[in-house]
Amino acid sequence: MSAEYVLEMKNITKRYGENTVLSDVSLSVRPGEIHALLGENGAGKSTLMNVLFGMPVIHTTGGFEGQVLLDGETANVTSPHDAMVKGIGMVHQEFMLLPGFTVTENIKLNRETTHPNIVSRILGKNLETLDMEAMAADARKALDSVGMSIDEHTLVEGMPVGYMQFVEIAREIDKTGVKLLVFDEPTAVLTESEATQLVSVMKQIAANGIAIIFITHRLDEVMAAADSITILRDGKLAATREKAKTSVVELAELMIGRKGESMVEADPRTAPQDKVAMSIRDLYVDMPGEEVRGVTLDVYEGEILGIGGLAGQGKLGIPNGVMSLYDTQGSVTLFGEPLKLGNAGDALRAGIAMVSEDRKGVGLLLDQSIEDNIVFNAMQIKGEYLHKVGFFTLKDGGAVRRTADKMIRDLDIRCFGPMQHAGTLSGGNQQKVCIARALVMDPRFLFVSEPTRGIDIGAKKLVLETLLRLNREQGMTIVIVSSELQELKSISDRIAIISEGKLVDILSPNASDADFGLAMSGIKPGDQLEKGDDAQ
Amino acid sequence: MTKSKTQRIIAILLAVAAVALIALGAIHMPQRSAQGGRDILDALRIRTLLNATGEGVVESYVAIAKQEASNKAREEGLGMSALREAVAKAEEEARAQHTGTSVDYDTVNTDELVSALESYTAALSAYYRTADAAQQAYIEEHMPEAEAAAEAEREAKLAAGQEVSEDEEVTVDMSGFVATEEMNALMAKADEAYLAVGEALKGIYPVLDDAALETLHDTIQGIVYQSGDDFTAQYDRYMEAGSGAAVSNTTTAFFIRYADDLIYCGVALALAALALLFSRSLVEKLGIPRIIISLFFILLCLLALLYDLSLPTLLSNSVVRMGMNAIMVLAMVPGIQCGISLNLGLPIGLVAGLIGGLMTIEYGIPGWGGFLFAIAVGSVIAAVAGWLYGLLLNRLKGEEMSVTTYVGFSIVSVMCIAWLVLPFTSLKLRWPLGTGLRNTIGLDSSNFKHILDDLLSFSIGDFTVPTGLILFMLLCCFLVWLFSRSRTGVAMQAVGNNPRFAEATGISVDRMRIVGTVLSTVLGAVGILVYSQSYGFMQLYTAPRQMGFIAASAILIGGASTSRCKISHVIIGTFLFQGVLTLGMPVANMLVPGTTLSETLRILISNGIILYALTKSGGGSRA
Repeated sequence: MSAEYVLEMKNITKRYGENTVLSDVSLSVRPGEIHALLGENGAGKSTLMNVLFGMPVIHTTGGFEGQVLLDGETANVTSPHDAMVKGIGMVHQEFMLLPGFTVTENIKLNRETTHPNIVSRILGKNLETLDMEAMAADARKALDSVGMSIDEHTLVEGMPVGYMQFVEIAREIDKTGVKLLVFDEPTAVLTESEATQLVSVMKQIAANGIAIIFITHRLDEVMAAADSITILRDGKLAATREKAKTSVVELAELMIGRKGESMVEADPRTAPQDKVAMSIRDLYVDMPGEEVRGVTLDVYEGEILGIGGLAGQGKLGIPNGVMSLYDTQGSVTLFGEPLKLGNAGDALRAGIAMVSEDRKGVGLLLDQSIEDNIVFNAMQIKGEYLHKVGFFTLKDGGAVRRTADKMIRDLDIRCFGPMQHAGTLSGGNQQKVCIARALVMDPRFLFVSEPTRGIDIGAKKLVLETLLRLNREQGMTIVIVSSELQELKSISDRIAIISEGKLVDILSPNASDADFGLAMSGIKPGDQLEKGDDAQ
Repeated sequence: MTKSKTQRIIAILLAVAAVALIALGAIHMPQRSAQGGRDILDALRIRTLLNATGEGVVESYVAIAKQEASNKAREEGLGMSALREAVAKAEEEARAQHTGTSVDYDTVNTDELVSALESYTAALSAYYRTADAAQQAYIEEHMPEAEAAAEAEREAKLAAGQEVSEDEEVTVDMSGFVATEEMNALMAKADEAYLAVGEALKGIYPVLDDAALETLHDTIQGIVYQSGDDFTAQYDRYMEAGSGAAVSNTTTAFFIRYADDLIYCGVALALAALALLFSRSLVEKLGIPRIIISLFFILLCLLALLYDLSLPTLLSNSVVRMGMNAIMVLAMVPGIQCGISLNLGLPIGLVAGLIGGLMTIEYGIPGWGGFLFAIAVGSVIAAVAGWLYGLLLNRLKGEEMSVTTYVGFSIVSVMCIAWLVLPFTSLKLRWPLGTGLRNTIGLDSSNFKHILDDLLSFSIGDFTVPTGLILFMLLCCFLVWLFSRSRTGVAMQAVGNNPRFAEATGISVDRMRIVGTVLSTVLGAVGILVYSQSYGFMQLYTAPRQMGFIAASAILIGGASTSRCKISHVIIGTFLFQGVLTLGMPVANMLVPGTTLSETLRILISNGIILYALTKSGGGSRA
């Protein structure tokens, strides 16, 4: 180990077509250190790791610019297998284990210890006999080094999630010659005690001279485990820090940063706080990947409430839960009346409308016309846009067309006409159709979930302006859920930050980036300040 | 050169060729009945006549030579073998002497023969006109008898449990026909004219005697005129006889003969040019499979014309078959709309409809009452069965295609047992011996056979319009269209289109799927009754098994996908599918006579289309 760094990535730039996802990013990891890689969703962490592992997705899209050095020598990693050979291992976020195999078999998969037999001498190496005893011994050693007492002959199937994570780590450690391990959000699925144990295991591994890249967004874990920290933001290197010389607040600030100028300027005003429009109590939502675990929240009449947080933390679960799109528990009161949970129709009838984050999956009838999409809810829930012809109650084509034309004008939906299929529209215009459908319902309360995801900048501006106008001119209460903090800041009166399915805090849009950064990693800014005060 | 430019140039070249062909055909077509055509026919006729007579003359010379040789040998008292040798030698010599040298076609004076022939042809055609008319009258007079006999035979076959073939043509036995007075008189006139022809021939071939002329009578008559002769038939006959050399301008003659085919080819080229020119927008609007099938259909129409098949009759049959099948195809619509994809379990509905039909016959309800009763009973059974079927499908979401197929097959098998044990007592339905229902149950005028087909039907030439059938089809289409615009219909389509969207609006996905399944099954029941009334039979046991697939492929040809369809897809698809089959069979039989190619074609087309549609069912087809 003559070189100072086991891994150096120098000036990495990666473009997907016109889109630059990494620009001039450098990362250096010393042997035996735990190096945290911090960043919001989409900051470029995954892309950087894809470059490191030589993933096909990088090569097939034109490669990357920059240099990767292993032990001071230029390395050209061509494939994940090549990365393995060169001593780089990965502990995956989704477990790559075979449930029907034992722990030993999983650890030694494709690297089995074998000895030759008669058949293999004739037909080749693939038919050699497995040396189960040697393999079990190896597995035992690896398991011991991650502090796991579990029997190496246990089946992976039915193991607690935390154990699987450790088996995964044991597998990487067992690989001979491994000098760098990447942990991709390993604590996301672990309980607190398991997470603590993981951190200690990581330290133990690092003490054996193996370097670790620790990808996470939990700032307290970073502070607990890491030696040095690299922070990415918007595909750029935000900063590199030694742990000793930084603080949680600084990290939070660096992670969030200030991105661009706000697109929409709301007139400053004092947020209305006199009447509660919706009060949510102990909301639990079983939405896969966005679970809500007990949120209590009041929304005031006439305000725009932003709900923010990192992806997968449960912010999307709130509107989906209130609209009963997933199994939901808890109680919701709307304008003083209890809302029955369990049927989306009830929520719609009560006067709540929602613009879903999943436009293509939930938000639109892609194969049907714009006008049918716009009036669908009003027709089904309120029985509007229907007229009687003889014995039949039929769609009132004329009324539908008039409303559709009006909405196309008002929201500037770019299309060939109201008969065009929704599926052929661009993302921004599809979003406008979704908003139009919500508006045709004349809602008293509007949920807007990720309204600007995947749409171009002009459409973004128009969507946000429309929401602002609805709120200011019609007094509509709006809850906007978004991963884009800047967007929330620009139009919200208050911003609730959700982390791990729970409400962390409700912040003013003028709060500092550090506050938002802390809140997003689950630390209530007030608490941290108190701690900080104590420390000082 | 860009692709589109090349395409345009080829299209223009094709168009030019097409115009040339059509012009050529159009110019020469009227020649057939004008002087030019007559001249060609006359020249050919004389040459054929002279050839045929010449052969007769040679035979006469040979006969004479042989007789002489034989006589001479006998006088010389030669032995048997020497005699035979001498005769053979004489025959050879006579043949060598006379063959080919008998008449010089260019110098012989045929004026007399031409005028004699003209009057003979006129006399013959007058005779045949009268004879045809008389025979037609006889056929019309005896048709009912023949039909009754055929029906009786069919009944007998059914009773014996034999298969009855479809669309068998009824023929009148002509053995009882006697020539009329008028015919005899005309025949006598023709015979007189023939004598004049004989005289003229004698002028050219002096060796001909009356006996030879007598033997030549039939041949000459055949050459001059046959019943129903038109230009092409005569031309072909003369050419076959090897008289082509008589025509001075062979190209013109060829063009006149093939004038109609030239026009057909021209039209085909013009269509090809149009298709090429607008290929892009056509592909966008219709999709490649529909274009291929349409072009195939047009090709079949042109082939039918080329092979001189009666296109109006074939098209009329296509329309009837469209009406027969359209409602079963329509049954696919609610299925696709509610998200169970192609309802290949259609046999459930078919079986329900068949039970309705059987009950009508069992209770002997005649006419419209019976038909409506059958529809009502069938629909009720179908609704109940469809509801249960819908419950099943709701438990097996995502696997509809295989589940519906299995259900379709299973219900047919279950009913194979049920048909044997159902307590129907009517002798029209049961086997004469033992228990169980017959394989094929013939409908007659006392039930609802052709009740829709014959309603208000009228004919234009060979084209019969089954007004009632078409109206009923349009009525059903209209009702389904109305339903698709109702609140429930809109909700149902949303469920099919995007179940999660529907759920987000509080619509019960399961309930809407059941609504769609029930509707589809009921339409299946109505569909099989319409089919049966037109077909004239109700087929039980394994007959309904394939019908689901046929209906599915028809709607897919029409442009539907497994998740999207419109009423227009039903009508276009059924017409194209049934049209291709109706035209394909006779054309295939002309192309490759005496094979079952057409049946193979049908299976290939229907299954191939389903397969193609499945490859596209992943989505993205928003044509």
